[in-house]
Amino acid sequence: MAGSAKRKVAKKPKVDAATKAKLKQKNILGELKGHGARIYGELNAGRFPSFSIPSRSVNNIVFDDATRQYILGSASAMRSSHNSSQLRSFTQLMWLAFFANRLTKEKKSSTLRDVYYSSQAFAIEFENQSESDNIIVDLEAVTSRPREDFHIFPEERSTIFGDLSVEYTIPGYEGKTMNLSNHPDGYSIGPSLTTAELVDTSAEIVIAIEKGGLFTRFVEEQVDKKFKSIIVNTGGQAPRSTRTLLKRLHDEMGLPIIILTDGDVYGEHIAMVIKSGSANAAHLRELTVPDAKWVGVWATDIEKYKLPTIPMTESDIKRCHDLKSDPRYAYGVWRKELDVFLRLKRKAELEAFSKYGLTNITDKYLPQKLELAKSL
Amino acid sequence: MVQIKERFNQISPSEFFYSNRDLAGFSNPTRSLYTAVRELVENSLDACDQKGILPNVHLMIKAVDPSKPDPRHYILTVRDNGPGVDADHIPLAFGTVLYGSKFGLKQARGMFGLGATMAILYGQITTNTPVVVHSSVDGKTQDRFEILLDIQKNKPVIVRHETREVSKAGLTVSICLEGDYSKAGSKIRDYVYETSLITPYATIKFDDPKGQSFSHPRFVKEIPPPPTIIRPHPHGVDVERIRRMIVESQFDIPVVNGAMISKICKDIGVKKDADFAKIMSRTAKKWKGLTRHVRIVLAIMSFLKMGFDAISRVRIEDVDVANGLISYWDFATSDTKSVPMSRDSPYYRQLANTVQGEQLAAFLTKRFQRVGVSTAAKFSEFAGFKPEKRVGTLTNRELVDLSDSLQKYDAFLAPDSSCLAPLGAEPLEKGIAKFFEPDFSAVVQRPASAYSGFPFVVEMGIAYGGQIPSGGPHVYRFANRIPLLYDEGSDVVLKVVNDIDWARYKVKGDPPFVIVSHICSTRVPYKTAGKENVADRPEIERELRLALQYLSRKLAGYMSKRGQAEAAKRRANLYAKYVPMIAQFCTELAGKKKEPAYQKVLRNTSFESMRDAEAASETASPRQSKTGERGASNGQADDGASGDSRDQNEDTEPAGAPDIKGSTSDTSVGEMKAFDDTGGTLISVPGGRKKAAARRSAASSKKARSSKRAAQQRQQQQQQSRKGKKALVAATVKVRRQQQQQQKSASSHAGSSSSSRRSAP
Repeated sequence: MAGSAKRKVAKKPKVDAATKAKLKQKNILGELKGHGARIYGELNAGRFPSFSIPSRSVNNIVFDDATRQYILGSASAMRSSHNSSQLRSFTQLMWLAFFANRLTKEKKSSTLRDVYYSSQAFAIEFENQSESDNIIVDLEAVTSRPREDFHIFPEERSTIFGDLSVEYTIPGYEGKTMNLSNHPDGYSIGPSLTTAELVDTSAEIVIAIEKGGLFTRFVEEQVDKKFKSIIVNTGGQAPRSTRTLLKRLHDEMGLPIIILTDGDVYGEHIAMVIKSGSANAAHLRELTVPDAKWVGVWATDIEKYKLPTIPMTESDIKRCHDLKSDPRYAYGVWRKELDVFLRLKRKAELEAFSKYGLTNITDKYLPQKLELAKSL
Repeated sequence: MVQIKERFNQISPSEFFYSNRDLAGFSNPTRSLYTAVRELVENSLDACDQKGILPNVHLMIKAVDPSKPDPRHYILTVRDNGPGVDADHIPLAFGTVLYGSKFGLKQARGMFGLGATMAILYGQITTNTPVVVHSSVDGKTQDRFEILLDIQKNKPVIVRHETREVSKAGLTVSICLEGDYSKAGSKIRDYVYETSLITPYATIKFDDPKGQSFSHPRFVKEIPPPPTIIRPHPHGVDVERIRRMIVESQFDIPVVNGAMISKICKDIGVKKDADFAKIMSRTAKKWKGLTRHVRIVLAIMSFLKMGFDAISRVRIEDVDVANGLISYWDFATSDTKSVPMSRDSPYYRQLANTVQGEQLAAFLTKRFQRVGVSTAAKFSEFAGFKPEKRVGTLTNRELVDLSDSLQKYDAFLAPDSSCLAPLGAEPLEKGIAKFFEPDFSAVVQRPASAYSGFPFVVEMGIAYGGQIPSGGPHVYRFANRIPLLYDEGSDVVLKVVNDIDWARYKVKGDPPFVIVSHICSTRVPYKTAGKENVADRPEIERELRLALQYLSRKLAGYMSKRGQAEAAKRRANLYAKYVPMIAQFCTELAGKKKEPAYQKVLRNTSFESMRDAEAASETASPRQSKTGERGASNGQADDGASGDSRDQNEDTEPAGAPDIKGSTSDTSVGEMKAFDDTGGTLISVPGGRKKAAARRSAASSKKARSSKRAAQQRQQQQQQSRKGKKALVAATVKVRRQQQQQQKSASSHAGSSSSSRRSAP
C-alpha cells in the first residue's frame, strides 16, 4: 500500500538535494562573511567595530497578530568594542561568528556544550555555559537564523517514524537516501535529519505526540499505515530541530500537523509552542507551524471520555492563569480548554486511555480526533 | 613638690619609687633596659631642644660579660651634644628623685625629672654600681662624677668627682644595669627608628651589644621653635588646682638671701650684725617708707624673733592665718617648727593681708593665660564675685563655685599653644616620605585644643602604598616626640583608628598603609608613669578623630584616583588582549589573508589610558605634583597648547563630518560615538593631555561646527596675545591648522577622502 500511494513533492520543482543544501550553506556563509568584512573594514580604518543586536528584553518582545507569534520589537542594543564593559562579549560574539563559519564551512555539527568547550581552544573565556549560550542566542538575533543553521544542534533528541524518504547532505552521506519507516524505534531527529532534504512521502498527515511511550504504541499499532501518517515523538517540549522539521514537513511536503499531548495545561502549551513559537525564540521566525492543530487531550475530553484524572497542583493552576493573559490563548479552543481545566482542577495523561484497553487510544480516540481536526 | 610632700611625707620619693618601680616602667629586665634607654635618650633630646641645638645622640649598650646569658649586666651609655649640666646641679639632678627643670607648664618629653633618676636607681639596685656622668657646659672643662643614691634619704652620694679639659660641650651618662637585650633589642631598635622619624632634626646613632650599628642621620636641618612656659588656661582647671594657685599667690614671701638682707639693712639703716631688738626698733620707725617685700620679711622676723643670721638658716613654709601659726623648716635641725602669731602685733595685719592673697581680678589676669582686665571683669560678673575680693578669703564653697564658673564661661579664648612644640606638617611629611617611601601621603596639624586646661595639638600623617608592607593600618604613636611602643591595645589612638570604617574610604582588603599620630601637650594624659599609652580623654579623642577623618578623606580621594588609574590600565590591557582576537576572527570570517591594521585602534586606547593614568597619578602622588611645580613654566605652555589643540580640533571636526555621512547610511548612536573617538586622534597630537582636549571637543562637535568661525577668531586672538614659549606652540598649531584646512577642502571636493585625511601628520 505504501509504495503505490507515495506522492512526490508537488509544489516545488524538483531540485537536486545537494545543490539545495549548497545554496543554503552559501547563503549562511555569505551572511557571516558580510559581518566579517564590515568589522574588518572598521578595524582597518582605525575605528572600533560594533554589532547592533536586537534587544531581547521583555519590553521588546511583542505579540505579532499577523504571524500569530511573539516577535522582537524594533529596539536594538549596540555592542561596541570600544566600550570596555562590552569588549569581552563583543569578542565572544565575534569568535562565535568565526566558529560558526568554520562549522558551516566544514559541515561539522556541534552542541551548545561543545561550543562552550571549543571556545577554550581560542582563549575565549566563557565563565560558564549559560554565558556562551547567551552569545549563541545573540548570534541568532543578529543573523535572524536559528543556530541549527550554523550547525549548532540541541542535545535533546526526539524521534520520527513513518514513510518519509530523505537524502542526507552531511559530509560522508551526501546523496544517500533513507526511508524513515525502516526502524520501528524511530529515527533520532539530529543534525543529519535536520539538514537532510525531504524527498518524498506517502503520508498525508503528521502526528506529533508528547510522549515516547505512546509513540511506541502508535508504531506498534501501525498508526503510520492505518492513518497514512508520520509519527513524531516530541519528548515533552519539542526541541527546536524537531520544530524545524515539523515546519519543513508542513511547508515543503504540504502535510498538516496534528498534535497530541497530555490533558493538562503544560500539554496545551507544548502544542502552542509548536504552533506559534516561544517568547525565548522571539528573534526567530522559522520555528513555527501556525497551521498546526492541537487535538487533544482536551480538558473537555476528560469528561467526554470519562478519563481517570489526577488533581492539578498549585503550580498547574497558576500556570493556567498565566497563560490566560497570553494573547495566543485569548480565543477558540485554547481559551475554552483553559477555562475547563480551571473549572475541573484535574488533569489526565495520554496513558489514561489504557483504562479502556491498550489500543483504545489508537482505535477509538485517534480516529475521532483526526476527523475532528479536519473541521478545526 | 607640694603635692608629693603632702602625700608621701612619711617616706622619701626615692624610697617610694624603689618599692613601686613598676609604675615607672622598670618591672622586669627586658622592660627596664628599654625604659632606661628611653629616659636617657629623651633627656638628651629635651636638653638640646631647649637650647635650640641640633641634637647628636649616641646610644651605646655593651654587655659587661658577653659570655653570660641574658638577663645580664649591661653598660648603657648615652652621649649628646647638648648644653650639659652645671657641675653644682649634677649630684642633685642625677642623685635625687623628682629633681629637675621640667616642672613648668610647657611641652617636654620628660615631665618630673623622674625617669633618668629611676634608671639610675634601677641600675644601682640591680648592679650596685654608681652612675658615671660626664658633663661639659662651656666646651672647655668637663666634670666627671660617680654618684650613688641614698635611697632612704633621697640624697646623692658622690663617690668620685674629677675635672679635665675637653673640646666639646655635652653630657654623657653611663649606667650599669641588669637587662635582657635579646628580648628588648627589637623594641629598642624600633624605638631608635621611630624616634628618628619624629625627631627628623636629630642624628641618632645606636651601637648595640652584638656589634651592630644603627645610624639615623638628620634629614631636616631646622629645629622646630622651642616651647615657652605658660600659665594655665582657665577652662578646666579644677578646684584643687585653683586652690594651689591661690596658695602660690599668697606665698609671695621673698627669699631671704644676702641681697635681701643688704637691702633691708640699707632701708632701715642698720648693720648686718645688728641684734633682733635693734632691728625691730628701727623697723617701727621706718615702716611707712618700706617696700612690701621688706615689710613681709620684717613682719616674719618679728614673730620668729630672729635676727638676719637666724632667718637665713630657715625656710618659711606656711603662714596659717586661721590658726595663727607660722611654720618653717630649720636647715640646722632638719625639721619643721611652728611659731604662734600674736593677733595684737602691728605686723599681723601685714602678713594676714599677704595671706589673703590678690584680688580676684588681679589673680585671674596674673595667673591665667587668655584673661585680660576686661575678661576678668566680665567673668567676675558672670560668676557673681566682686572683682576686688581677695582670693585668700574664698571659702571652700566659693572655691567650688569659682571653679565651676571657670569651666562654664565660654568667652575665654582658646588656649595659648606657644607652650607646645609640634613637629610641623612639613618635617612630618618629610619623615614619612623618607621612612616609608609611600605612593601617597598626607599630613595634618589640628589647631590647638585643650583638656583640663592643658593645651594640646594633634598632628597626624597617613601614607599608602610604596614600600609599606600590607596588613595595615600600621599605627605609629607618638606623644611629645616620644614613640609609644608598649600597651598599644589600650591607647586612645588605636581606639580611634579601629572605629574607622575603612571600606567607606575605599581602603579594602589587606591595605599597605601607615598612620602616624603625634599628640603634643604640656601634659600628655598617660595612663601610667611608663608613658606607653594615652588615656582616652574626650577632647583628645575628638581631635584625633577629626584629624584621622580629614586624612582618610584625602586617602579616599587618592584611592579613587588610583582606582581610576588602575581601571584605565586594566582597560588598556583589555583592548590589547581582545582587539587582536577580533582582528584574527574577522580576518578569517571576511575571507582575507592579511589582518586589518588594528594597531591604530590600540594606539588610541593606550593614549587614552595613559592620559587617564597620568591625570590620576598627577593629582594622587604628592611627589609627582611637586616635580610638576618645578617645571611650572613648561606646565603653563602645556596648558596653552592643549587649549590650542582644542580649538584646532574643533576646526577639523567638520572635515570628518562628510565621512560619517559617506560611509554609514544609517548612522546609529554607537557608530557616531566610535567615529568621534577616532576623530579625536586624526590629528596626531603628541601627548595624552591634548588628546583629552580633543576628546572633549569631539563630544561637542556639533556645537563646534556651528561656532567654528567664532572659534577661529577667538583662537587667533589668543595666539596674538600669547608670548614666548607659547608662541612657538601656537606657531606649530597654525601650521597644523593650515594643513587641516587644506585637507578639509580636499575632502569636501572628493566627497569622502578618508585615506588622505588619515595620512595627515
